[in-house]
Amino acid sequence: MASADKLINTYVPEKDVFALHFLQSLSNLRTQNPLNSPDKSIDRVRKIKKAAYVSMARAAGGTSRLWSRALLRRAAKDDNKSVRFSRRKRKVTWKISSKRKRSNQRAPVVEEAAERLRNLVPGGGGMETSKLMEETAHYIKCLSMQVKVMQCLVDGLSPK
Amino acid sequence: MENELFMNAGVSHPPVMTAPSSSSAMLKWVSMETQPVDPSLSRNLFWEKSTEQSIFDSALSSLVSSPTPSNSNFSVGGVGGENVIMRELIGKLGNIGDIYGITASNGNSCYATPMSSPPPGSMMETKTTTPMAELSGDPGFAERAARFSCFGSRSFNSRTNSPFPINNEPPITTNEKMPRVSSSPVFKPLASHVPAGESSGEFSRKRRTKSKQNSPSAVSSSKEIEEKEDSDPKRCKKSEENGDKTKSIDPYKDYIHVRARRGQATDSHSLAERVRREKISERMKLLQDLVPGCNKVTGKALMLDEIINYVQSLQRQVEFLSMKLSSVNTRLDFNMDALLSKDIFPSSNNLMHHQQVLRLDSSAETLLGDHHNKNLQLNPDITSNNIINPLETSDTSRSFIHLPTLAHFSDSISQYSTFSEDDLHSIIHMGFAQNRLQELNQGSSNQVPSHMKAEL
Repeated sequence: MASADKLINTYVPEKDVFALHFLQSLSNLRTQNPLNSPDKSIDRVRKIKKAAYVSMARAAGGTSRLWSRALLRRAAKDDNKSVRFSRRKRKVTWKISSKRKRSNQRAPVVEEAAERLRNLVPGGGGMETSKLMEETAHYIKCLSMQVKVMQCLVDGLSPK
Repeated sequence: MENELFMNAGVSHPPVMTAPSSSSAMLKWVSMETQPVDPSLSRNLFWEKSTEQSIFDSALSSLVSSPTPSNSNFSVGGVGGENVIMRELIGKLGNIGDIYGITASNGNSCYATPMSSPPPGSMMETKTTTPMAELSGDPGFAERAARFSCFGSRSFNSRTNSPFPINNEPPITTNEKMPRVSSSPVFKPLASHVPAGESSGEFSRKRRTKSKQNSPSAVSSSKEIEEKEDSDPKRCKKSEENGDKTKSIDPYKDYIHVRARRGQATDSHSLAERVRREKISERMKLLQDLVPGCNKVTGKALMLDEIINYVQSLQRQVEFLSMKLSSVNTRLDFNMDALLSKDIFPSSNNLMHHQQVLRLDSSAETLLGDHHNKNLQLNPDITSNNIINPLETSDTSRSFIHLPTLAHFSDSISQYSTFSEDDLHSIIHMGFAQNRLQELNQGSSNQVPSHMKAEL
C-alpha cells in the first residue's frame, strides 16, 4: 500500500498543527463572544463544531484539497465572508451528470455508495468517483486527527 | 504484377483465374497490397513453400467450412514454417477483424455471409497467394495483427463488452485468423495493414489513418471505420506504447497511455472503463488501510458501506466532542491566547520572541509544580501557517515580570512529532497557569475574565 500512497498523496500534518489551529479558532470564538456568553448552549455547540471543522480544513491543507476548499467556502458563505483562494478557483459545483451520460456501465453498486459518500464528504458533489475516493481518504485521516485533538482537549479540561 | 502473382499461385490453383465477380475488387486489393513488396522475393518464397501450400490450402478450406473443430486440426497438422507463413499472411490480410465473425465462439452473424458467398476454395487460394507477396520480416507481426483484427472485429460488431474468447495459445489465434483469410474482398481495404515496424498500440487509430489513405471500395468496413472515428475524443488520449499492458503516465504528454489487454476489447469506451475501474479499486485499497476493520470485509459494496459508516461515526464524534467542549468551556474559562503564545506547538519564528518574553513566574511554578514547567519551552523549528495570534503582540507590549528562562526545558520537548496526550494535558494546565499569572500580574485585562475562579 505504500506504493499506492506515493501515487495518491494523502499526507496529513501532525496532530499539533491541528491542535494549534483548533485552539486558535477557539480563542477567536472567545474573543468574539463576550464572556458571559449570552447565547444558548446549542449555539455554542454549533459554533464550536464549525470552528472545529474550519480549523481542520485549514490545518489539513487549506485550499489545496477539494474538500477543505468546499468546507471553507461553505463556512464563509454562512458568515457572509469571502474566501480567498491561493490558486485558481475550482468549480466545486460541477455537474457530474454529463460524465455519467457518456457511459451507463459505471458499476451501480459503486455509484450508489459514491452518492452517499458525496453527501458526507464536503465538496463531494462535483467530484468523479475516483477523485471522491481520494478526497475521502484524506478527509478520513484529517477527521481522525481532529477527533484525537478534541478528545485530548476535553480530557485535559474536564475536571479530575 | 497481379498476373504474375496469380500465375505464381501455381498450376494447382487454376480456379483462381476463373474467380467470381469479386475478382476485380480482389485485384484492386492485390495491387494495393503488393506495392511495397519485391515480387521476386515473394515468388521465391512462394516456390519454396509451394509444397506446403497444398496442405495449407486444404487446412484453410477445412477451416472455412467448419470453424471450430477444424481449428484444432489445423494447429495440430501445421508445419512450423507453414505456420509462420500463414501467420504472416493473415497478418497482412487481416487487421480487419471483420473476418473474425466466422468463429463459432463469437457467433456474430453479420460476417458469416461473406464467407458463404464466394466459393471458399477459390477465395482462399487467391488470398493465400497475394499476401505471400508481401512478406515482411517482422516476427511478432502476425500476433499483433491477429490481435488487431480480433479486436477490431469485436469493436465493429458490437460496442459492448462481450467477452472475447481469445485464448493466449498461439495455435488458436492462428486458427482464428484462418477464417479471415478467406473472407470476402469487401474487407480488403482495411487490410492495408500495419507496416512492419509499427508497434501494436492503439490499432483503432491506425486503422483510421489507414482507411483514410486507402480510398477504395469497402463499403461496410469503411462505415465501421467511421464509427470508430466518431467515437469520443477520449480515444485520442490513448496512444501507442511499446511495453507491458499497464498504464503509465507519460511525463511529456498529458495522456495516459493504456494498452489493451490481450483478450479484451479495445473499444475506447471499454478501455476507459477499465482504466476507471482500476483507478477506483486502487483507491479502495487505499481506503481499506485507513478504515479499521475493513480488511476482513471483501467486496466493494460492503467495504464502501464500512467506509461510509466510518465517516459518519467520525463526524458524529466531532459533534459530540464539540458539545462536550462547549459544556466544559462554560465551566472553566481558560486563556487560549496564553496557550498559543506559549508556543506549545512547533511554530513560526514570529512566536519565538513571544516565548522568550512570556515566561512562567516562579510563583507559577510553585502553584503548579515543577513538572509543568518542563513542557513550556519549545523549539520553534517547524513553522506552521498563520499561527500568529494578534492578541499575543498586545501581551508582549505589556510589562511582564521576569520569569525564569525556559531554555532548560527544550531538551525534553525536542520531538514534536510525538505530540502525546500528556503534553496536551500539561499544556492545558499551563494555560490555566498562564491565565492566573496574567491575572495576578496585570490586574484587569480585557481578555482575562474577571470571574475566573476555577482551580486546577
